[in-house]
Amino acid sequence: MSDKIFRSLLLVSALILLLIFAGMFFSLSKGAVPAFREFGFFGFIFSDKWISGTGQSTEQYGALAFIAGTLMTSVLALLICLPFSLPVAFFVGEYFRGKKVAGVLGGIVDLLAGIPSIVYGLWGFYALRPLIQSLGLSEQGFGVLTSSLVLAIMIIPYAASLSAEFIRMVPQELKEGAYSLGATRAEVIRNIIFPTSFSGIFSAYVLALGRAIGETMAVTMLIGNTSRIPRGLMDTGNTMASIIANQFGEADGLKLSSLIAIGLLLFLITAIVNFLGRLMIKRHSV
Amino acid sequence: MKKAIFLLAVSSLLLISCSQKTSLSGAGATFPLPYYNLVFKAFTENAGIDVSYGGIGSGGGIRSLKDEVVDFAGSDAYLSDEEMAEMKATIHVPTCLGAVVLSYNLPDVSSLNLTGDIIAGIYLGKITRWNDAAIQAINPAVSLPDKAITPVYRSDGSGTTFVFSDYMTKINKDWENTLGTGKSLNFAHGIAAKGNPGVAGTISQTEGAIGYIGSEYAFALNSPIAYMQNAAGEFILPSSLSISAAAQEGIADDTRSMITNSSAKGSYPISCLTWIIVYKDQAYANRSEDQARATLSLLNFILSPAAQAQTTMVHYAPLPKEVIDKAQKALSEITYNGKSL
Amino acid sequence: MSSLKYRLFKNKLLTLSVVIFSALTAVPLVLIIGKVFLKGWRQINWDFFTKTTPTTLDALLAINNNQPIPGGIANGIVGTLMMVLVASVIAIPLGVMCGIYLSENRKTKFSTVVRFLTDLLQGTPSIILGIIAYLWVVIPLKGYSALAGSVALAIMMLPLIVRSTEETMNLLPASLKEAGLALGSPYRSVVLKVLLPSAFGGVFTGILLAVSRVIGETAPLMLTALGATTIQWDITKPASAVSLLIWEFYNDPNLQSMIWSASLFLLLLVLSLNILAKQLAKKWRI
Repeated sequence: MSDKIFRSLLLVSALILLLIFAGMFFSLSKGAVPAFREFGFFGFIFSDKWISGTGQSTEQYGALAFIAGTLMTSVLALLICLPFSLPVAFFVGEYFRGKKVAGVLGGIVDLLAGIPSIVYGLWGFYALRPLIQSLGLSEQGFGVLTSSLVLAIMIIPYAASLSAEFIRMVPQELKEGAYSLGATRAEVIRNIIFPTSFSGIFSAYVLALGRAIGETMAVTMLIGNTSRIPRGLMDTGNTMASIIANQFGEADGLKLSSLIAIGLLLFLITAIVNFLGRLMIKRHSV
Repeated sequence: MKKAIFLLAVSSLLLISCSQKTSLSGAGATFPLPYYNLVFKAFTENAGIDVSYGGIGSGGGIRSLKDEVVDFAGSDAYLSDEEMAEMKATIHVPTCLGAVVLSYNLPDVSSLNLTGDIIAGIYLGKITRWNDAAIQAINPAVSLPDKAITPVYRSDGSGTTFVFSDYMTKINKDWENTLGTGKSLNFAHGIAAKGNPGVAGTISQTEGAIGYIGSEYAFALNSPIAYMQNAAGEFILPSSLSISAAAQEGIADDTRSMITNSSAKGSYPISCLTWIIVYKDQAYANRSEDQARATLSLLNFILSPAAQAQTTMVHYAPLPKEVIDKAQKALSEITYNGKSL
Repeated sequence: MSSLKYRLFKNKLLTLSVVIFSALTAVPLVLIIGKVFLKGWRQINWDFFTKTTPTTLDALLAINNNQPIPGGIANGIVGTLMMVLVASVIAIPLGVMCGIYLSENRKTKFSTVVRFLTDLLQGTPSIILGIIAYLWVVIPLKGYSALAGSVALAIMMLPLIVRSTEETMNLLPASLKEAGLALGSPYRSVVLKVLLPSAFGGVFTGILLAVSRVIGETAPLMLTALGATTIQWDITKPASAVSLLIWEFYNDPNLQSMIWSASLFLLLLVLSLNILAKQLAKKWRI
C-alpha cells in the first residue's frame, strides 16, 4: 500500500466522521421542520409551554422549560461533582501516584462508569429520595436537586480519570525546579501542576458536562417530570433528553416533530457549551 | 492474519446460512407485554418460529408498521379513521383483555369504593383529602383518615393513560373539558412517574397516594385496589371475570371499540381490549409467502383456546367467544398479493 | 508575608482535604455497588449464563414457591457481545484512523471542524442516535436487526476513540516520528509501526472507555435491535442485549429481582475489561 493511498485513507476516515454528523443534522432537521414551521424557530425555543392537544386544549409545544431543566441539572451536577472529582484526580495523579491505594481508588471510580443508568435511577428512587424527604428538603422527593445529585455521582469517573491523566503528565523537571526553590507540595500544585494541566482538566470537565447533558434514564426517574421551568432547586422539572425519552414512543404528528426539534436543539446547546469551553481554554492557555 | 480472514469468512458464511429460518418481529404496546412473551414462547415451541417483540409503545409499533419494518404492531388504542386513511388497509386482531385499576396507599383502609366523578375531582385538584364527604358517603363501613390525597400519573406517553382517560371523559364533564382523552395529558396536580413500576413504586412509598396502573401489574404486586362503580351502579373489583364481562356486548365487527364504561352487569368499567394490527395484504416489503403464513398462524394461535387460557394465569382476561369469532372473521380477509391465505 | 509555619499548615490542610474528599467520593460508590451485589448475587448460577429469559409466569410461579427464578440472560449476553463486537469492528479502525489524521494535521481548518463535531457527537443523547440508526439502517433494511444496533453503538463509541487516539499521539515526542522518517521508512510504516505502538496504551484505554459506555446503553437498542427471546447469532435479525433485558425486567412485575443480577453481570464485565485494559496498557507501554 503506497503512502498516497494511506494518507487518503486517513483523510477519508475524517471525512466519514464529518458525513456522519452532517447526515445526523440533516435527518433531524427534516423531522423538526413541521414544529419550527408551526411555532417559529425562536418562538419554539423561547416558549415554556408544553400542552398536549387533549380535552379542549390546543397543541402548543416549546423547548424553554426543558432547556432550563437541562442547564440547571447539568451545571448543578458539575458544581457538586467538582469538590469530589478534583481531589480524587490529585490523589491518583499526584499524591499517591503509582501506589496501590491510588490504583484501587482509580479502579473504584472507573467502575462507577460501568453502572447502567437505570440502576442509578433505582438507587436514587429507593435510597436518595426518602433521604431528601426525611431531611424536609422537598415533600415529593423528586426534583432538580435529587437528579443533580445522582448525575454528579455519574459523571465523577469522566472528570476524575481524565484529569488524573493530565495531572500525571506534568513534566517532572518543572515540579523539581519548584521544590528545589523550597516550595511546599501545596504551592507546587497551585503554581505549577494546576496551571500546566489546566486546559486538560478543563476539557475533561467539558466532557463530563456533555455526559450530564445527554443523560436520560436516571434523570427521568428522579426529576419529577413536570413540563415547566423549575422554580427552584427543590422544584420538579424536566430535561430535554428526558422529555424525548418519555414521549417518543407514543408521539406522532406535531408532538413528534417537536421532540425531534428538541433533539436538534440539544445538539446546539451542547455546541454552545463546548464552544464557550474551548474559548475559555484558548484564553487561559500559556 | 490470513488465519483470521479465513475464520471471518467461514463464520460469516455460517451466519448467512442461519438466516434462512422464518422468524417474526413485532413492536408496540407494553401493556400486554408479559402475556405476549408467554404466548409467543408457546408459539415458538409449537411451530418452531421465533418471534421477537419490542415494547417500544403503541405509537412506536404503529410507526414501525407504517415503515414496513415489522410483521405486526401491538397497540392499546385502535387506529382512528384518519390514521387508517394514511396507511394501506389494516386488520385489527384483539388478543386479550386487561384493565386499568386504581391503586392506593392507605394502611388502615382495607377496602375502598370509588366513582369516576370522585377520581376526576381528585386529579383535577377539587377533592384534596381522604375524609372528604363525597368519598366517605360511598364508604360507610370504613373510617377514612384526614390525610392529603396525592394523585399519581404517568409521565411517559402510554396506552394505560389512554384507556383511563377514555373512561373518565365518558363519565365526567369536567374531565372531558379539561384533560380529555389521550396517551399523554396535561395533568396539573400530583406526581408524575415513569412506567407502571414508577407509578406503583411512588404509590407504595407515599402515604395517601392514589394512581392508575395496568391490571396485570397491580395484581402481581398485590397492591390495594379500589372498587369502581360501573354504569349499572355496582361497585366492582377488577378480576378476570369482571373484565371479561365488559366485552360481552357492543363490540364493533372490525373489533375497533373501546369497552370502558360498559353497561353490562358485573363488568369492571375501566377494561380494555388490546390489539395486534397487521396489513390486510401481506405482500409488502419483499416479504415471502412463508412469512405471511407464519404471521397468520401466530394470530390464529393467539386466538386459540390454549393461548387464551394463559391470560388468566398472568392476570389478564380471555376474549369472550363473540369477540374471537369477529377476530377470526377479520383474519379470513388476509391476503397475499390478492390471493387469500 | 507568609511565615514558614503558615505555609506548612496550608500544605497539611490541602493534603488532608484531598484525602478526606477522595474517601468521601468512594462512599456512594460502595453503597451503590454493595446494593447491586447484595440484591443480585443470589440469582447468579450456571443457568444464568446459559438459559434464556424466563417468562413472567415462570417467575410468578417461582416466587409463589419461594424458589429462585428459573432461566437466565443468555440471549442478552450473546446479543450484547455480538453487537459490541460488530460495533468495535466498525468504530475502532475508523476512530483510530481519524484520530491519527487529526493528530497529524493539527492546525488545518478541516481538522478543527472535525474535532469540534466529534465533541458534539459525544454530547448527543443515546436515544437520538437510536432514532438516527432507525432511519439509516432499520428502514432501508426493512427490519430491526442487531446490525442496526451495532451501528448506533459504533457512532456512540467514535468520539471517545477518536479523541483519545488524537490526544495520546499528540503527546508522543516529535523525535520519534523524525527518527523513523530519517531512517528512510515510508510514512505509513512510521505511523503504523512506530507511532501507533507507542501510543497503544492510551488508544486502548480510550477503546475500553468507549466499550464500557455502550455496554450499558438501552435507549438506542430499543429502536434498532428490538430484542429477542432466543439466543441467535444472525446480525440481520433482531437481537437482545443485557441492557435491554434490564429494561424489560424493570417493566415486569414478577422479574424485578433479575434487574440486579443482570446489572451485577454488567458491572463484573466492565470490571474485567478495565483490569484487562490496565494489564495490557502496562505491557505495551514503552
